[in-house]
Amino acid sequence: MIERMLNSPLAQWLDERSKVVQMIRAHLLEYPTPKNLNYMWAFGSLALTVLILQVLTGILLAMFYKPSAMATLGGYTQAFDSVERIMRDVNYGWLLRYMHAVGASAFFFVIYMHFARGLYYGSYKKPRELLWLIGVLILLIMQGTAFFGYLLPWGQMSYWGATVITNLFGAIPVIGDFLLQLLRGGFGVGDPTVNRFFSLHYLFPMLLIGIVVIHIHALHVVHSNNPEGIDIPEESTIPFHPYFTVKDGFGVGVFLIIYSYFVFYNPTAWGLFLETDNFSPADSFQTPAHIAPVWYLTPWYTILRSFPDKLMGVVAMGLSLVLLFFIPWLDRSKVRSARYRPVYRQMVLLFFASVVVLGYCGHNPPTVVLKLVGRIATAVYFSFFLFLPLVSRFEKPKPLPREI
Amino acid sequence: VPPDGSGRQRILGVRMTDKPIDEKRRNFLWGMATGLGAAGAAGAAIPFVKAMMPAADVLAASTTEFDVSTVVPGQLVVIAWQGKPVFVVHRTKGMLERLKGHDHELKDPESRADPRVQADWMKTTEQRLTRAIKPEYLVLQANCTHLGCIPLFKPTPGQADWGSSVPPDWPGGWHCPCHGSLYDLAGRVFDGSPAPFNLYTVPYKYLSETKILIG
Repeated sequence: MIERMLNSPLAQWLDERSKVVQMIRAHLLEYPTPKNLNYMWAFGSLALTVLILQVLTGILLAMFYKPSAMATLGGYTQAFDSVERIMRDVNYGWLLRYMHAVGASAFFFVIYMHFARGLYYGSYKKPRELLWLIGVLILLIMQGTAFFGYLLPWGQMSYWGATVITNLFGAIPVIGDFLLQLLRGGFGVGDPTVNRFFSLHYLFPMLLIGIVVIHIHALHVVHSNNPEGIDIPEESTIPFHPYFTVKDGFGVGVFLIIYSYFVFYNPTAWGLFLETDNFSPADSFQTPAHIAPVWYLTPWYTILRSFPDKLMGVVAMGLSLVLLFFIPWLDRSKVRSARYRPVYRQMVLLFFASVVVLGYCGHNPPTVVLKLVGRIATAVYFSFFLFLPLVSRFEKPKPLPREI
Repeated sequence: VPPDGSGRQRILGVRMTDKPIDEKRRNFLWGMATGLGAAGAAGAAIPFVKAMMPAADVLAASTTEFDVSTVVPGQLVVIAWQGKPVFVVHRTKGMLERLKGHDHELKDPESRADPRVQADWMKTTEQRLTRAIKPEYLVLQANCTHLGCIPLFKPTPGQADWGSSVPPDWPGGWHCPCHGSLYDLAGRVFDGSPAPFNLYTVPYKYLSETKILIG
């Protein structure tokens, strides 16, 4: 069927002028894929799927959303009212909004799993350093996109979340005040802020699409890593189609079932995806009793508040993300997969645990106990980067297999 | 292994069958899988398209009430119905008189050319002439049937008030500034106008002696 389509006169006509058929063959059909990839390798194509869902629902939502903090007759604001209008009056507006909100959380879950896969199997190592760098950049752009998007409903959490995060930039010495006003367009979070955040919330995904294309291109130059983490000969690969179109397709199917459960039956996910306080309209005179970012940003939020000094907290939080860029060079071991690195394996699992614990702490109010737990987890998080260059000096890797 | 089954015979350590590929079976499975996937995608597209149709609050604002007694004799009032302009004219005896005598100059004197220029209540010759439930109150869509501009109201006869924008034997009516279409005081289009039809009617009824409900 596909062969017949690719050999059709129209496809040939296009191919002679654009090489499109050759591209489809090289990147979608014949792309040599290691035959032993497990389901941790499904998260790449899943991320692409969620990105497409987010873009489609986002385009539709932008047709109804109004980025304005202007007061309305009902006593709220245009932004808040337009979101409620989407929920109540727009045909299937509730579906679009819940798909988009659940999709944001799904996107981060998928990307975090994708990162965990890369860390565990050493996918960031030579020759895939650039691939990793682009990946970290994608994560940062995603976090920016999510942050801008969360202000738009103009609820209590939107407002106070944006207030807190923009104030982070204000803590930077010398240029802090400049950055603060640049972000807010005023002296507090207000109408100019929601207006520009909407613009940026539309711009960042466009950047994302471009960078994702570069990410996939970079992958197809160096080819996929595999669970054994060894370089493999051509004979150990199988064509992407049909083997991985089917396998990834199955992964998408499983994902959509879970996604649909949340969209249709549990869109707020117990207040995790859509925080309960955000259903109250923004009030600049009243901070909610407990304020925390959405779950996917809480690990970094905990690092921020684990330091008793404002500037140090901000620097540590920035560092916790920036350090990710340096992992390919911090890790000096030649062995990629944690399967053959007994010490690194414990280290990276501890690192994953620290991120989960940090996330838990950030989601909950900072009690005396959780403050301490958060600080320990912060220490574990940073010690991963500290020990990464040292571990290869004494670690004895297990013998590598010769083929997969 | 390439789809044609040639080459290596072991995938993931599993020995592949030596039997030849059953092309019919494979094509059937391919068709079912892609067909079902396409049907699912088409189904998922429905909410996306429907979301772009008028929302509930837009539909709720689809009727307009208006008291025609607020329009003084000879006056034109433009009111909004579904966000679109609607003409309401209180026609004097003299204006109604001037509807007669130029049927031969009109494209469609009896308003039969298109469903949009007619109405259920338009039954008698008199009603087809005045195009109103109560002859003195004319209610029509305010957009030129050519390309949607709002025609200018030029109710007095002759060129005295309007210069050469209207013909010398002008009985009063509307003149569209965009492309020069001419309508009489019942919104009937004159021959030679680019507009194809008389001004469209709007669905309306009298709720009381003077109150109308449009929509």
